Amino acid sequence: MRRMNERAGTTKQTGTNEARFDERRARRTNFDAIARTLADEPSHGLAAWARTTTGVVVLLLSLQMVTGALLAFYYVPSAADAHATVTFIEKAVSAGSWIRALHYHGSQWLPLALILHLAQMLWRGAYRRRPVGWTATLVLLALVSAESAAGFSLPWDARGFYSTRVAASIAGGLPFVGDAARAWLAGGAELSTLTVSRLYALHVLLLPFLILFTVVARLFLFRETPVEASDETERVEPRTSWTRAQMMRNALTVALVFVALSLCAARWPAPLAPAADAVEAGYLPRPSAQFLWLFQLLKYLPAPLASLAALVVPGLLLGALAVLPFLPHTQAESAARHRPSRFGIAVFSIGLLLVGGLTALAYLEDARNPTIREQLARQTQQEADFRLAPFVPKQTGVVAPNASAADDKTNDPPAAYTDNCARCHGERGEGKFVNPPLIGISARPQRTTADLIHIINDPGSYGLEPRMPSFATKLTDEQKRAIAEWITTLK
Amino acid sequence: MPDNYTDDSSQSAPATPRQRARRAFLLRLLPVAVFSAVGATLATAAFKFLRPRDPQADDEASWTTVAPVSELTAAQPVARKVFVERDAGWTRTREERLVFVLAGDEHRVVSAVCTHEGCEVAWRAQAGDFFCPCHDSVFDARGRRVSGPAQRDLEALPTRIEQGHLQVQYKSFVEDSDGRA
Repeated sequence: MRRMNERAGTTKQTGTNEARFDERRARRTNFDAIARTLADEPSHGLAAWARTTTGVVVLLLSLQMVTGALLAFYYVPSAADAHATVTFIEKAVSAGSWIRALHYHGSQWLPLALILHLAQMLWRGAYRRRPVGWTATLVLLALVSAESAAGFSLPWDARGFYSTRVAASIAGGLPFVGDAARAWLAGGAELSTLTVSRLYALHVLLLPFLILFTVVARLFLFRETPVEASDETERVEPRTSWTRAQMMRNALTVALVFVALSLCAARWPAPLAPAADAVEAGYLPRPSAQFLWLFQLLKYLPAPLASLAALVVPGLLLGALAVLPFLPHTQAESAARHRPSRFGIAVFSIGLLLVGGLTALAYLEDARNPTIREQLARQTQQEADFRLAPFVPKQTGVVAPNASAADDKTNDPPAAYTDNCARCHGERGEGKFVNPPLIGISARPQRTTADLIHIINDPGSYGLEPRMPSFATKLTDEQKRAIAEWITTLK
Repeated sequence: MPDNYTDDSSQSAPATPRQRARRAFLLRLLPVAVFSAVGATLATAAFKFLRPRDPQADDEASWTTVAPVSELTAAQPVARKVFVERDAGWTRTREERLVFVLAGDEHRVVSAVCTHEGCEVAWRAQAGDFFCPCHDSVFDARGRRVSGPAQRDLEALPTRIEQGHLQVQYKSFVEDSDGRA
């Protein structure tokens, strides 16, 4: 949404063309009304620049919508395709990596911009004069957090998969409603392709709609309580030129932020971990930066308590901030309308300290532990290697008569395979339903014959999903070796 | 509250009204300029991002085997399935296509796709012609157009014989709309 300056009709004119333009805009568009809603309270100096957080929030929200819509042209929300399509966007599509990086970094800058917006409203004491704007910002912060939580799962890579698992566990640990909450989130008892499509629907339809509704409600549905009639803002002329100046300040800040975000996205691509079904043992999943504090908090708490804390802590913080405009204030505070209340500052500082402190702690712990540091460095290197490797399309469509292994009548599976494995992995390793095909997996990392025997013995240690039962005691060692060796011949 | 919150820039230096007006106008342009620059950047990226990709043709992979030559002795056209592999986005997809191996020693192969609107023609043994069930186009046993809305003959496909097997290079003619009704 762009702000336009006020109708210039009553002020000094700069030219008849401009006057006509202003006149028409005032008659035919709603820009002036929006500008009045946003900028009816002139400020100057640092405060005026601080208020350009409005423009930054508008920019980042619009960017998320545009880049999100673009990503949706290629992304497929299913457990089988999600990682392949995101890999395709990253490696094969022109500008794909940059657009995805814009979306990723934007999702981290947006909550930051909203917090800065809250901070400047608190500093100017504006939350009291403009409760609608204040509440809308808090609602946006909550919705944007939900957006990034859901969006983080969508690539269905190792990070997304484990963050979803943690989210499902948190939901499952809630008192009374836990089991239902978990099942509703996951779309069943276990994480599956249904989870991906649920989170997708939330991420691209429901939550964006609520965000848009919040913006529209803030601009068009509600009016801030009018400032006192004696207020200088009632005078049209200075307001007009102030609005114009404020538009400029917003434009400058927005330009700076956009350039910074673009460069950041070009320099640091969005992370993409290995696919959820190809995760090796010892993988360390880490959430994105805005959830590190929650990740750190969960280290200190047992499961049921963690579930409460994960909801109660953010809930309390947002709740306390939400009631701020409606608290009775002391006479001194009322007299100084442009000063923040002590309570407001206290809540805000506690929140910042908690989130900032825990985030810093999370980084610090990872950096201090040499084992973790090395594993994380290894993962970063693997991601970089994967990014450089050429894109390999996923084989789909009908199985042709000469389609290699599945039709190679001379390469019959061992009897033990047909009896134990074929029910899920197909007669010739072609896969069934959600169960992965075995054809070609020997080309993947961590799938040597020895690895395959390990997987048959203890699938859990390889993080396989959907979960595969162990065959450690059901097969002899020779049978396991025969099966593993046969699987490696499936090219 | 201070009273002087009017635009600083209009007060900073003594200026003629004309200069002031010009400066005010340029300042008004700034938000428009920023908006346009951001929009243009995104539009350029979006154009590159969404532009349809042409999969690179791999010549050797485009040949698929139809049948051993020794089996092709029928006096009538024989329908055969061929498998076409092509890259589509993140998938390499293998699709089944129908072709007809025409009678005769030269083993000509035509695509079963009707040159009118792309339905699949069927061989009518009794009438001895190809018939399209969609809009009643008729082609003779050599694939030449006889009647109906189709304007072109059935498309002949490049063939070769490798180690006693007839191979065909399958092609789609969707984009070749010349001569279509």
